[in-house]
Amino acid sequence: MASCGRVAVTGLGAVSGFGWSAAELWSGLLSGRTAILPAARFDTRGQRTHVVSEVPSLPSSFPPDSARSRRHSRADRFAVAAARDAMAQAHLAPGTPEVGVFFGGSTAGIAGGERFLEALLSGSAGRVPLGLLAAQPLNAPGDAVARAFDLDGPVETVSSACASGSLAVGLALRSLRAGEVDCAVAGGSDALCSLTYSGFNALRAVDPEPCRPFRADRAGLSLGEGAGVLVLEPWERALERGVRPLAELLGAGASCDAHHMTAPHPQGAGAAAAIRSALEDAGLDPTAVDFVNAHGTGTPLNDLAEWHALTAVFGERASELPVTSTKGAIGHLLGSAGAIEAVATVQSLLAGLIHPTSGEGPVDPAIGVDLVLGAPREVGRDAVALSTSLAFGGANAALILAGWSDRR
Amino acid sequence: MTAVAITGLGSVASCGHGRGALELALRESRVDLVEIDRDRGFHLAASARHAARAAVTDLSPWLAPAASRRMSPPSRLAAAAARMALEDANLAMSPGAEDRCAVFLATGYGPSSYTERILEQVIREGPSSASPMLFTESVANAPAAQVALLERATGANVTVTQLEAGALHAVARGAQELVSGRADRVLAGAVEELSPLLHAILDRYHALVRPGRGGEVARPFDRRRSGYVAGEGAAVLVLERAADAAARGAETLANLEGWSRAFDPSAPPSGWGERPERTAAALKRRLERAGFDLGTTDLIVSGANGSRRGDRAAGLVLRSAFRGATLPPVVTPAAMLGAFCGNTLGAAVLAARGAGFGPTPGFEEIDPDLGIRPHDGSPLPLPRRVLVESTATGGAAVWLALGRPA
Repeated sequence: MASCGRVAVTGLGAVSGFGWSAAELWSGLLSGRTAILPAARFDTRGQRTHVVSEVPSLPSSFPPDSARSRRHSRADRFAVAAARDAMAQAHLAPGTPEVGVFFGGSTAGIAGGERFLEALLSGSAGRVPLGLLAAQPLNAPGDAVARAFDLDGPVETVSSACASGSLAVGLALRSLRAGEVDCAVAGGSDALCSLTYSGFNALRAVDPEPCRPFRADRAGLSLGEGAGVLVLEPWERALERGVRPLAELLGAGASCDAHHMTAPHPQGAGAAAAIRSALEDAGLDPTAVDFVNAHGTGTPLNDLAEWHALTAVFGERASELPVTSTKGAIGHLLGSAGAIEAVATVQSLLAGLIHPTSGEGPVDPAIGVDLVLGAPREVGRDAVALSTSLAFGGANAALILAGWSDRR
Repeated sequence: MTAVAITGLGSVASCGHGRGALELALRESRVDLVEIDRDRGFHLAASARHAARAAVTDLSPWLAPAASRRMSPPSRLAAAAARMALEDANLAMSPGAEDRCAVFLATGYGPSSYTERILEQVIREGPSSASPMLFTESVANAPAAQVALLERATGANVTVTQLEAGALHAVARGAQELVSGRADRVLAGAVEELSPLLHAILDRYHALVRPGRGGEVARPFDRRRSGYVAGEGAAVLVLERAADAAARGAETLANLEGWSRAFDPSAPPSGWGERPERTAAALKRRLERAGFDLGTTDLIVSGANGSRRGDRAAGLVLRSAFRGATLPPVVTPAAMLGAFCGNTLGAAVLAARGAGFGPTPGFEEIDPDLGIRPHDGSPLPLPRRVLVESTATGGAAVWLALGRPA
């Protein structure tokens, strides 16, 4: 089996509370604004929180639905829109052979399933179109991408809760290195639905206010929705095609806390193992890392555990590493969080800027993190970045990305 | 490629538990169906009435009741199958080994009964009524997480969701984790829970064989096939590098020699595509790139389950891949065990060991479009190489190549 060396990121796409493009994601993140706003799409009465980050209505400039896409769920639409942008940037034409799709997600089209069940319970099942369920399987968004762009796969979907997107990007890296595919469309997509909204409220894991990662008075996460997609391919292939790499995916690591179904390991042992594994995969020492795009959900337990993990891996340097989190701006995208954070990390590397961490209040004194606040902070365009994802069930994933450099 | 050995198989299926029960059911062509609960009124009047539900009511030999109480049904099935697999592999987790144990588990529909229950709470009593315990166990990765918790498996923990093809995806990825040296052992497989609601939905899609001539019998590759029998269960394999297995004197059940994966983008979300030649070419090309010669296959374990369109897609892919050559004998374990239960994977491991297969239940007439006569019960030669295929709803397709242990 052929194998490739360096893996380049050649395309980015994103759909978020800031809009339907990666450019809107980046300008929103740089501004320090938040897209976490009062929920409009469903009933929040009686719940702990009434704010979420919802994707705005589809712009009229978007291509009209094809007959095949009419049954797309929101998650499918996010996925296809983000993939379209990423593929266009990478100059990857539909129908290109040997392109795999590696996708993460945790809800897919379950909102349709909710409506179906509601109708079934009310006894009107005969009049409920089964089409509501067409996009329900968790593999639907990744499959929809392959269908929309005529890709012959493989298509592989990961649903490991909030680590899904990062795990999918990591699996794409493995497939490229193994020579299984020539190119990968990797990412994740998730849409808000009653199940996740009610479930996270039931766990009291949500902040009544827009979430405040790493802040002293943080009180939980804010839910979001959207998609992030990266086109990945062997570095040499990109150059041969005349496509300038945007960044390099150096390594991926994964682990499991095996500690508790919802609470992270208090010392962040699993997260630290995933980071070390990613660094080892990248062939790098911890000193090589220049900044961190953290999982940073804003829950009291997650942020503290993540700080412990950073301390375990980086030692005293942990407090000198600039750290940012997207979640105060676009909420927690669950199965696509890791994917959109990988997109944001590449955008940081391209711009030489780390975006600020939205949210109010002083940083938790128990967490010695150097949180990027207020304004973007400069970083070298050839920097090395770590992106972390820590999930329900203890699944952890970490990615190492680097800016364009001829030196590596 | 570094050789990967399968050294343990844990199975919970309609035929019972463990590889002994699985082997017996396949040899005797036994179909163990139970009536599905239709009391909720989710089913149509003419619906399918039976399913191949997991037949093990007491999982306590493998799963402590205190742990079981905190789990959804598929988490219980997966945890029990994983423990069985480790015991089958004669493998105890030595101190430190847990850091090098990864879990790759597939599920098509996830914890369907808990998802239904929490959604019903939300619908009937409002969003604030949702139970945190139900929510935690309704996520697709709950079974893999529970396996890791019980077995202290702190390596990668990945849940693959690619419908019928998920099990083979999970095994391929697990093997890759070993080959790359990121894990020393892997628990890989699949789990599926069959709730009455899921059964009713599959039936409304006309996916299930309904009562009629000959009863609810799935007839893989038969001209008159009309659907599958929904299955439930779990199959978990222990994977190790062959050298490691040999070093500890472990019995190897089968060797994993290669895999290939593809997708048919012409497939609709709830169906199969119309480009079997393209899928076959991609699968064949990628398997050959991995150094595997399809011509050395002497048994095919097919995921065909009686689905009209699914079996057609699977059959045409196989026909196309083996064009110009004789198609090796084809066995279809889902005819006995039901679809979506992960145990086609378990059956494939047994097939690679030379397990006997009885005649394919219900098969009467060759579909002239496919020209495939599934196994008729005559003695099979001891296979050297087994091709395991899954052609999934929605377009995904995966092949695994298994070899008989030396």
